[in-house]
Amino acid sequence: MKKNNYIFKITMYLLIFLLISPLVILVIWSFVRIWPWPNLLPRDYGLRGFKHVLDPSTKSLRVLFLSVGLSSLVTLCTLLISIPAAKALGVYEFRGKGFFKMLILAPIIVPPVAVAMGIHIAFIKLGLANTFLGVVFVHLVPCIPYAVRILTNVFEIIGESMEMQARVLGASPLQTFIKITLPLMAPGLLSAGSLVFIVSLSQYFLTFLIGGGRIITLPMLMFPYIQSGDRMMASTYSIIFIVTALIMLLIMERIVRNYYKEQNYFYI
Amino acid sequence: MKKIVTIALLICIFTLNLTACSDSSNKEEENVLEKNWEAITEDAKGTTVNFYGWGGDQKTNSWLDNFVARRLKEEYDITFNRIPMNIDDILNKLLGEKQVEVKNGTIDIVWINGENFYTAKKNDLLFGSFTDKLPNFKKYIDGDSLEVKYDFGFKVEGYEAPYGKAQFVMIYDKAKLNMVPRNHGELLEMAKNNPGKFTYPAPPDFTGSAFVRNIIYDIVGHEKFLNMEADKEKIEREIAPAIEFLKELKPYLWKEGKTYPSTNAQLDNMYSDNEVLMTMSYNPNYVSAKIQTGEFPKTSNALIFDKGTIGNTHFLTIPYNAPNLDSALVAINFILSVEAQSSKYDPENWGDLPVLDNRKLNEEEKKIFENVELGKGTIAQDILLDHRVPEMPANIIPIIEEIWQENIPVEGE
Repeated sequence: MKKNNYIFKITMYLLIFLLISPLVILVIWSFVRIWPWPNLLPRDYGLRGFKHVLDPSTKSLRVLFLSVGLSSLVTLCTLLISIPAAKALGVYEFRGKGFFKMLILAPIIVPPVAVAMGIHIAFIKLGLANTFLGVVFVHLVPCIPYAVRILTNVFEIIGESMEMQARVLGASPLQTFIKITLPLMAPGLLSAGSLVFIVSLSQYFLTFLIGGGRIITLPMLMFPYIQSGDRMMASTYSIIFIVTALIMLLIMERIVRNYYKEQNYFYI
Repeated sequence: MKKIVTIALLICIFTLNLTACSDSSNKEEENVLEKNWEAITEDAKGTTVNFYGWGGDQKTNSWLDNFVARRLKEEYDITFNRIPMNIDDILNKLLGEKQVEVKNGTIDIVWINGENFYTAKKNDLLFGSFTDKLPNFKKYIDGDSLEVKYDFGFKVEGYEAPYGKAQFVMIYDKAKLNMVPRNHGELLEMAKNNPGKFTYPAPPDFTGSAFVRNIIYDIVGHEKFLNMEADKEKIEREIAPAIEFLKELKPYLWKEGKTYPSTNAQLDNMYSDNEVLMTMSYNPNYVSAKIQTGEFPKTSNALIFDKGTIGNTHFLTIPYNAPNLDSALVAINFILSVEAQSSKYDPENWGDLPVLDNRKLNEEEKKIFENVELGKGTIAQDILLDHRVPEMPANIIPIIEEIWQENIPVEGE
């Protein structure tokens, strides 16, 4: 028994190490000027990356806030659209359900480049190209499949019985949704929301095609540096990206948890 | 309920559509080229100009964000907005817009050259001939020089204004390499003495392709390529000695030439990590910029072949649907000023070669350029210009890249 425990611990620490070490290297690289072979540690450190990012003339911070705002809005819209769709797929029985379940994954399976050009032309005609709204719309395309997929599973588990109970006891549909369905699916909403937020935050191609350079997000500043091999700049932006995502996830979790702590029924 | 939602959505979309249409129809259809320069600068006041171009170099970005943006604001009250975007994406965007005839685009200035310019011009994506309108172009630039008249062998016809000059150099570390190769033969010797410590990026990487062309020039000369038609068989015959040389060089390359770095960025990082002894660049002052950021060892140095290395010019152009022509012209004119070109030439800021004609500068202006302190490891401008050979026509380049692909990496496998 004890031996098993050791093996478990070693595996766990090994896994954690494997997950953390690339991040550590990223942090180191964001301060490294030169790190030649065969030196074990970098030869020279500098602050060029963070200086550039924090310099107001590069507008990096403004871009960061815009990205966070955009992705939050996309997350909200995605969840609003996905809840009804997921409920239909998870709870109701209808013809062609399997087909629709597959179809909803299409945007992930079909490469975005293939459809994006068409979407771009359609958006130009609709006057949505180069607008904030257009970018929000186009982000929904890769985001909805993830949200629907996760929430469908949640609905499959919680079923409809609780809601029916509430309706029998005289609750209106809206009351049922707010007091019963939402609390039940809160953990699912949280994971779907986090995933969608990250998917939206990391969109590069769709954002610049539809945003046309009017809407600049974090990946658009980061990718040129990754391409040109400027490891210090790329690491710096990556760290900012990761930290932003982490903070947003923590905030989201905190909000959901606090909300249900006050009037908790189901949230564990 | 569902119907109401659908109708509401449709109404939303249609109103958006209408507002978008009215936007573009409201645009004044006056011809900028008929206005005089004072009127143009006057109309440019208080507007924003959107500059689209490659954004992978932090120094270049900082120069545009700090110097150009600040000076344009001070001098002309123009807000300069830099948008990092690769040229392929810019062209795709413009092609998409052209397809549905968007009159009011988002791009005012594009950083461009070579085959991309050719593509853009061929597809009518550009505004037209505008360089005659720019006071600084008329004052400082030799409009008859080949480098201004032709861009990779294609007639410019005023559709783009020169922005900077580049020249191919190779970079080595003085501390590690005693013998500096001055021609292809010495390069081979160097590779033989240090097996596995030299390589070049695989074409069609921009710099790797330039390296291959430079080897071709060094072996068979450059004159015959300038007017050569894009005929693969003929080119294959002409460059055969160079291909033979590359085959001979191959076993001494990094990983015995079985694989090549796919981008110049990788090669730079390999040089910086001490995995290879040399890297290369199409910007002659790149080495001092990289020494300053600390990425390259301080003993790095640029070198050119005795027979010369390829140089080209990069340009700024205006797309056909630029929303703000006035300030695009003012901004490009400013970039052609002595002040901007000398600031750009300073390796502290960027280190890009100026495009102004030395003969057209007065003594004071010449002094400004002479006073720019070239950074470590770079080659003086007059030596570079003496060893400068022109680019091949853009339509030959993909053929050479193809021949390289067919002959070099596959051989012996």
